[in-house]
Amino acid sequence: MSKQRVRNKVTSNSSLGWISWIWIFKLTTVLLVLGVVALIYIDAQIRHRFEGHRWSLPAKVYARPLELFTGQQLAQGQLKFELTQLGYRWVTQAKAPGQVQKTNQGMIIYSRGFRFVGGDEQGHLVEVNLVGDKIVGLRQTSGASIAVLRLEPQLVGGIYPAHNEDRELIQLDDLPNGFIETLLAVEDRQYYAHYGVSPWGIMRAMWANIRAGAVVQGGSTLTQQLVKNFYLTDQQTLWRKLIEAPMALLLNIHYSKDEVLEVYLNEVFAGQSGKRAIHGFGLASRFYFGQPVSELKLHQVALLVGLVKGPSYYNPRRHPKRATNRRNLVLSVLAQQGLISETQKTNYQALPLDLTEAKQVSRYPAYMDLVRQQLKQHYQASSLSSHGLRIFTSLDPWVQQQADKAMLEQVGKLKQRYSNIEGLQGAAVVSHRDSGELLALVGDYNGGYAGHNWALDESRQVGSLLKPIVHLAALETGRYSPNSIIDDAPIALPQPDGSLWQPQNYDRKSHGKVPMYETLVKSYNQANVRLGLDVGVDKVLQQLQRMGVEQSIPAYPSVLLGAVEMSPLQVNQVYQTIASNGFYSPLSIVRQVTEANGRLLSNFPFAVRQVASNESIYMLQHEMRLVASQGTAKGVYRYLPKQQKVAAKTGTTNDQKDSWFAGFSGLHVATVWLGREDAKPTPLTGAGGALNVWGQLMQNLAYAHDEDIKPQTVAHYYLNRATGEAIPDKCPNGVWLPMLKTSAPSFNASCGY
Amino acid sequence: MYNNKTTAFKLGLLILLALLLGACAAPSYGPMVEDRSVQARPSERISATSSNTPVKVTDTPAASAPAITPKPQSDVPPTATITITAQPISKPIIAPPINQAAAAPLVQDKVQEKVQEKVKAPTLPASKQAVVEQLLADADQLKAQGKETQAVIQLQRAQRIAPRDPKVYARLAALQLSLGEAARAEQLALKGLTLVPNKKTYQYYFWKLIGASRSHLGDSEGEAKAIVESAKYK
Repeated sequence: MSKQRVRNKVTSNSSLGWISWIWIFKLTTVLLVLGVVALIYIDAQIRHRFEGHRWSLPAKVYARPLELFTGQQLAQGQLKFELTQLGYRWVTQAKAPGQVQKTNQGMIIYSRGFRFVGGDEQGHLVEVNLVGDKIVGLRQTSGASIAVLRLEPQLVGGIYPAHNEDRELIQLDDLPNGFIETLLAVEDRQYYAHYGVSPWGIMRAMWANIRAGAVVQGGSTLTQQLVKNFYLTDQQTLWRKLIEAPMALLLNIHYSKDEVLEVYLNEVFAGQSGKRAIHGFGLASRFYFGQPVSELKLHQVALLVGLVKGPSYYNPRRHPKRATNRRNLVLSVLAQQGLISETQKTNYQALPLDLTEAKQVSRYPAYMDLVRQQLKQHYQASSLSSHGLRIFTSLDPWVQQQADKAMLEQVGKLKQRYSNIEGLQGAAVVSHRDSGELLALVGDYNGGYAGHNWALDESRQVGSLLKPIVHLAALETGRYSPNSIIDDAPIALPQPDGSLWQPQNYDRKSHGKVPMYETLVKSYNQANVRLGLDVGVDKVLQQLQRMGVEQSIPAYPSVLLGAVEMSPLQVNQVYQTIASNGFYSPLSIVRQVTEANGRLLSNFPFAVRQVASNESIYMLQHEMRLVASQGTAKGVYRYLPKQQKVAAKTGTTNDQKDSWFAGFSGLHVATVWLGREDAKPTPLTGAGGALNVWGQLMQNLAYAHDEDIKPQTVAHYYLNRATGEAIPDKCPNGVWLPMLKTSAPSFNASCGY
Repeated sequence: MYNNKTTAFKLGLLILLALLLGACAAPSYGPMVEDRSVQARPSERISATSSNTPVKVTDTPAASAPAITPKPQSDVPPTATITITAQPISKPIIAPPINQAAAAPLVQDKVQEKVQEKVKAPTLPASKQAVVEQLLADADQLKAQGKETQAVIQLQRAQRIAPRDPKVYARLAALQLSLGEAARAEQLALKGLTLVPNKKTYQYYFWKLIGASRSHLGDSEGEAKAIVESAKYK
């Protein structure tokens, strides 16, 4: 074949001119066909991409919205914290959404409104009156009444796809006045006049750049920029150069200027946050200013528009000076084009950048672990990272912040006090007492670090934290009351291997015959083992399992002293059940999941299951309150006022490897664990370690106490501690205890002394 | 003939090449494209939880029982007439003089209960009451529109704000029962019951609800017990 062709060429040498014409014709035909094919192909691509699912959007994870109503008890500084986190601006007169104004009695808030599940919450201008940190009045400034105001929930994280591209979609209507004008003035003045490409535009840009002495305008149109970013890769290839202009033309033919502009607004690259790429002006506004784009003022708009030229070079957080210059240049261009006056220009140029602090991609890594874990059971990973789902959680940013802070500060203090606790770690769990919702999770003593989650992934022996379960099982038999007398004499049990198990009290002493409540208050090991054996180890374990501990636990007597490994999250689940009056409800994280457009996909309903009688729980709670007021947990009152009701238990394991504290007060149930990463002994008891974190945390949470509701079958009696008999209340050294009316104590009018 | 053949061959080759080129360039068009449309196939792509698919029950005996109609204006006491009730007292009340001797504990107990009956106080402060009332009204409205799940969400909101208000549990339990979630309804009613030790109308209502739930669950023994209990408070 090749030989033939060579011969052919040689022989036709004489008729060169004629043949070359044929070749030119052939080539042109081929090119034309090629061109048409390419155009058809490009056209299909353009339309497919533009009309389809344009971006894969990460799921957005929201914290719980703060509800404001008269009578709401907040923690000190909580409302201010919440508004700051939401990017509200303090002004002298609140006139627009996202503004807040201080008043003598409190504040005036112009809320933003939000699309909640079950209905939109409108933005309201409301006056909030505060006395201390209690809301004593809430009304709209228009005079209309409002019972409850829900602030918008904080966006606390996302579930990102592999490419880590993040954006918050906006529409043209969301832009503040002057935004489009500024963008077009800088990037593409003839946008509404050209056909997608603009040779004149290129020339004019060059001229403008020469006049300004710097590159203030780019040559390519917005349409071309969009084509470049949206359809083509970053590589500077010939192919790309060739098709950019025809693509821009085609885009211009198919779609209106506004449609193209809207896609541009959402596509534009505006910065980098760690691995996460910030795309679109919607997210850029949140990222740099902590505000929705609709609230931006012109100097902020100028900064965002200026950033388009080089988001990392002009990074306002890293290079504030450069960014300010760039912003001011943009403002000058606006003035040159007569869009603003010289005075306005000067005024805007004098303003600061108004940036918010940079927030980490996920400020709540431990909590997000759990969110992901729960969602994985219900949704595919690809749905979570690409459909823009909205995940509403019960995370309480205030509680989380206080928990992180208490952990970091107290662990720091302990490390200072004791030299030999290298590698001290900590975890904390906080839930809402009556709903079982998880409010905060600390998975590392240094809360921001996302590594091993010590609240979820680490199980340690729980020690004396198990004693309340022994007591509950005892009360449930109906044979025991808080005043039942238990023997605290030494005890020895043969083990399966023939050896003897001889648990001792912490103080190595025996305390003789003591009332049952005191065995919990003072955490006597010997008495509790005796009590548990009488009730039955299996009964105690059954009670524990009904309260949410799923793993199977061998029924050894050592279980009675907490030789059971549980994670802090599991411990909190058990204490949650005690706190919510014997009703188990699984600790919940996600409230609802909706599609991007608000359509509800899942609601995780509140459900309970009664696992202990009302009477037993009432008596147990009373015992646990005595632990806090006079027993091993009384150290909490170094942090809390005397009138605050606390029911709690300390826990210390063998050789003080683990320091635990779990309990509840007001609206919150909390569990704290401290221990070394390598599980070696520490100098800490439950009261010497974890108690401090718990105390500091509770100190900073809102406290409101609903009165305990006494079951009809229970009454309080004034009793002699030693004999358990009812005595006249003028007798000294008696104790008030709740008991079943059916097992009312005998009465001794002479005090029994 | 020979020439024509090669030309045709070359032309074909070129066109093929062009098409191939076009195809090669394709990947660069859409590295970020996800062709899934949420709207198009939600049930297929995004598997919803079972908890979000409430079972509508229209003809259960429970749903037709008058005692559990969860309407606010109905004659069911918990939602309508009960507003003032005794506040339970957890603090021990220092009671009778000691020389009333042997019967003291019992008397003490009676005095306590007398005091309890006498202390009249609303379950909630007026302001919180207003919030709860509004949320309950919202829930009723949503339910009337057939948006049961949304109604549940509003009631859960009320439960978080006023976790000790029996009204909320009464409404939640009744709603769950009407959705066919009888086990959930029974437990919510049991929880509600622990909040109203001295409120007969509520106790009656909750026991009726428990009975209806158990009947729905086929637990006739449990139902009989609930009927006996409810009779005590009629």
